[in-house]
Formats: sequence, structure tokens, C-alpha cells
Amino acid sequence: MTPSHRRPSVEIFSMLFGIVYLTCFYMDWAPFRYYPDPRRFHLRITPQDGPAILWYGWVAAAAVVSAAIAVAVPRRLAERLSPGWVWAVPLVIVILLLLYERRWFV
Amino acid sequence: MIVVLLIVHGLLAVALLGAITHQAWSVAPRRAGAGSLSFADRFRSVDSTAYATAVVVLFVVTAIGGALLYPQYRLDVRTTLEDLQLRAANGVFEIKEHLVAIGLGLLPTYWLLWKAPEQVAARRYLTWLLAFIVWWSFLVGHVLNNIKGLLP
Repeated sequence: MTPSHRRPSVEIFSMLFGIVYLTCFYMDWAPFRYYPDPRRFHLRITPQDGPAILWYGWVAAAAVVSAAIAVAVPRRLAERLSPGWVWAVPLVIVILLLLYERRWFV
Repeated sequence: MIVVLLIVHGLLAVALLGAITHQAWSVAPRRAGAGSLSFADRFRSVDSTAYATAVVVLFVVTAIGGALLYPQYRLDVRTTLEDLQLRAANGVFEIKEHLVAIGLGLLPTYWLLWKAPEQVAARRYLTWLLAFIVWWSFLVGHVLNNIKGLLP
């Protein structure tokens, strides 16, 4: 990619997004949870409100953390990144995810 | 209201599936030959760069629709699947939600790669990855939507 076309910070964002998302999911951590029964968001676990949805929190965490790191990484350092990583890292993330989720089928 | 949203979500998914499939096929290596154009050749003979923005918009809008439907799914469908001990059905949906999230993160780079014609390999593999995500999500969504009719 020519320097005029390349946006290394965007590539870093995309690579990190899946990593941060998968980490949050694996650690069962979300900055907030949505409880669909009472239709409320909570920062803390509130079991009395029924089942919780963590997905919104995982996506928000992945977006914020990835964007912050992508902006913080110096452009000179980011430009050293090979374009191959842009698809290889998400592919590895997807494979790891599929391997982990085999638990549903045993 | 939820039924209308579900139908709109499904229709947007059909449009997204068509766009990404055309594009994914168009970037596959081409077999050299001077024969007449087959159906597959015609299917892939599209201006694939024109699909990039449409794919991004459709992916985001369809994902938002899915996110709005999710609470109803969590309360009604998932609990039913758990009661029926259909672990695999829950599993394929859980994979779907993770894949869609990963896909959302890929969209900015995917869009930029389609604006930079030099990066042929990265663009191809990222497009195929997104196509896999869209196909998985589409099939799982439709199977789960019709699961009562599919069960014996």
C-alpha cells in the first residue's frame, strides 16, 4: 500500500478489536450489562434482574480499547506492520473462537 | 413490532449476503481460458469495488437490527432452546454473535483496502473472512428462526 493510501492506525484497530473482544468474552468481563427483563443497564452484576446480555459491553470495550491503542501507537512504528497481519490476526482469532466454542457440541 | 424488525433484519441480511458473495467470488483467482462465459464467470464479472461501501453500510445496519432483536432472543428463544436441551443451537448462535462483533471491527480496514488497489492479497483474504462471517450469520439466523418447524 502506498503511504498515501495506508492507514496503519486503522489496521491496528481492526487487529486489536478481535483480540480485545475475545479477551473480554473469555474473562467474562464487560464494562456494563444489559438486563432485558427489566430493560436496564447495570455496571454491576445484578442476578435478581434475570439473565444478562454482555455482548453490548464486549463490543463497546473492544471499540474503545482498540481505538485508544490505535491512536496511541506512533505512526512510524505502525507503518512497520506488514499488511499480511491485517487478515492473518483476525483469521487466528476466528479459529481460536471456533476451537473454544466446540464446548457446545460435545 | 418485533416481527417487522425481524423481517427487515432478514431482508437486509439477504442484500448483504448477495453483495459480499459477488465480491468474494470476484476476487478469487481466475482460470485462464478463452471459452464462453459460464454462469460462475458472469456472477464474478462485477465491479467489485462498487460493493465495498454497500457491504459496510449493510453490515452495520444489519448488526444494529440484530442487536435490537437480541433482548427478545435472550428472553424467549434462548431459554426455550435451553429447556429443550438444544445445546448445539445455542452454540451456533453464540458463535454468530462473536463473529459479527469481530466483523464489525474489520470493517474500517476492509473499506480502506478496497480503496487501495495495490493490496490485492490482504483485500482478498479479508473479503473472504467477512463472507464467511456473513454466511454463518445468515444461515444460523434463518435456521434458528425456523427451528420449531425443523424439529421432529
